[in-house]
Amino acid sequence: MTMRLIAGAAALLLNAGSALAQTPDAAPLSGKDQFEATCSACHQVTGLGIPGAFPALAGNVFLQGDERAVVSTVLNGRGGMPTFKADLSDAQIAAILTYVRSAWGNKAAPVAPATVAAVRAQLAPPKPAGLQAH
Amino acid sequence: MVLSRRRFFEELAAVGGLSLAMAGMDALGFGFSSAQAAPPTLTGKGKGTRVVILGAGLAGMTAAYELTKAGYDCHVIEARSFAGGRCQTSRKGFTDTDLMGHKQTCDFDEGLYINHGPWRIPYHHRSTLHYTKLFGVALESFVNDNDASYIYFEKGKGALAGKPVRKRQIAADARGYAAELLAKCVGKGDLDGALTPEDRDRFIAYLISEGRLSPKTQTYVGTDRRGYDIPHGAGVDPGPGKVSPPFTLTDVLESDTWKALASLSEFEQQATMFQPAGGMDHIAKGFERNVGHLIRYSTEVQKLVQDDKGVEVFFKGVDGAVGSVKADYCVCTIPLSVLKNIDLGVSPKFKAAMAGVSYAPVNKIGLQMKRRFWEEDHFIYGGHVYTDMPGIGSISLPSTGWQGQKGVILGYYAFGAEAARVSAKPPADRAAFAVAAGQKVFPQYAESFETAFSFSWHLAKYNLGGWAEWSEEGRATAYPVLCEPDGRVYLAGEHLSYIGGWQAGAIESAWQQIGKIHARVNAA
Repeated sequence: MTMRLIAGAAALLLNAGSALAQTPDAAPLSGKDQFEATCSACHQVTGLGIPGAFPALAGNVFLQGDERAVVSTVLNGRGGMPTFKADLSDAQIAAILTYVRSAWGNKAAPVAPATVAAVRAQLAPPKPAGLQAH
Repeated sequence: MVLSRRRFFEELAAVGGLSLAMAGMDALGFGFSSAQAAPPTLTGKGKGTRVVILGAGLAGMTAAYELTKAGYDCHVIEARSFAGGRCQTSRKGFTDTDLMGHKQTCDFDEGLYINHGPWRIPYHHRSTLHYTKLFGVALESFVNDNDASYIYFEKGKGALAGKPVRKRQIAADARGYAAELLAKCVGKGDLDGALTPEDRDRFIAYLISEGRLSPKTQTYVGTDRRGYDIPHGAGVDPGPGKVSPPFTLTDVLESDTWKALASLSEFEQQATMFQPAGGMDHIAKGFERNVGHLIRYSTEVQKLVQDDKGVEVFFKGVDGAVGSVKADYCVCTIPLSVLKNIDLGVSPKFKAAMAGVSYAPVNKIGLQMKRRFWEEDHFIYGGHVYTDMPGIGSISLPSTGWQGQKGVILGYYAFGAEAARVSAKPPADRAAFAVAAGQKVFPQYAESFETAFSFSWHLAKYNLGGWAEWSEEGRATAYPVLCEPDGRVYLAGEHLSYIGGWQAGAIESAWQQIGKIHARVNAA
């Protein structure tokens, strides 16, 4: 194919003097660190949320209940909460949920990455997101 | 492989972007539905009917303006100390304290600004344009697409991953290769089922034109659409110059850069796009000049009760003063995210429907640059840098102040989980995050950065989100309920339109609801 021949040369030219800027994955963070980085804008580092706006996680009955329902909420979003299925890995969600289910006096069992993977496997394939909205 | 006509055009759109798809759509005779162009004509009796309007955003002020004109007695209650709702502009002195307690005061230079809310007006949003014309709001072009801008995708693979590439080059190559491959299919007879012999010849001619193929070989060997490695010019040197050679199809595909090509193809994003000169809030000010005297500012709605005779809205001012206003009808434009926390005297069915929607976390940040390096060094005038960097979404270059000294770049415009994550950072860290991302595209970014102003709509007390997001289920069940009045309460706003998140949605929703009120008043 003509295109491959010509474009091969182009690719060589373009690569001259420019390293690929692929960033390596950052070191794994603890569940607490990941919660504070990803969730605390709304739920607050205290887990107390903002009354009338974002629910408290401290003492939250739903959060300490059925782990599959909780995982599903993080993956799919609910109410004003966005979906995190494209942004967080199974291991990240498991670490965050394990943390919030045991922090601030909460007492619920850890969540395993395999549980997140199992719930995720039942999701419909994601729709492509546009780059522009409004 | 035999393609149906419909499928065929869908494939064109996916591979070749807007122009391919548009050519196909036009040929198929798909018409454009247009937005409502003018307010309802409220003839008949309205005189003396009292309407309390909750919220002085564009929906509320539209209702106040049109109803007052028709003789209604309107009272508007607004939580903020200024009118406009989400129609805001941050410029020197603008302050914001978000729900996390981060207080910012914008310290851009005089004359510089960022529209941290709505920022562009499509040419077919005739409702918005009705009021910009009526109120004498000067418009200028908003460059919503720019062939010279960069696509910077770092999640893909291959030679183009993680490096800025001019959009015109990706567009030319994607169109060229797609046309070449289609021409090959035609040559092999794969499309004979979809094309008559006459159409076949016309289609080949179209592909040659669309992809700039060699007419003889029907192959793509590059085109001056990509631009020049040695610019063409005068005399014999540089004379014809040297056209930049194409990337490989594989590089285009595996880099994901092609994903940027269709990002502005939706109806709402098509040319021509406008913005008010000097900031979007000139629209809010235009309304305010006409209805400002009807607005009670800095006053939060606390409770609404109604019976078959009227409504009463109880409020509390920031100064602690409480009071109420009685009216015959209520137009409530408070976002559902906020409204669901207010004591609202409506039916259980209506309340349940209000819970059937979610609101989008949305971030924007304005970065003041001391030099317009994107213009001076990169020849990019307006438009967006397309990127897959998490939390960035788009980097957008100002469509105003061309060739001036300084400018304000939109450093990120991101939604959803990515926005929630970035908004957890204090303002200085948000700015550092945005500058580090822009530095990957423009080497002059960090050294030119002076000051920032960031805004998160989900952390704005009176919004709790950028816009309503309806699921298919919510549209089918909750939405129709909320579009009808509950007793004497009529909801209005972008959330009650299919033009969600746009000012036109707010205006046209208000038009529709006041039309219903007026019909009811006249039927009584």
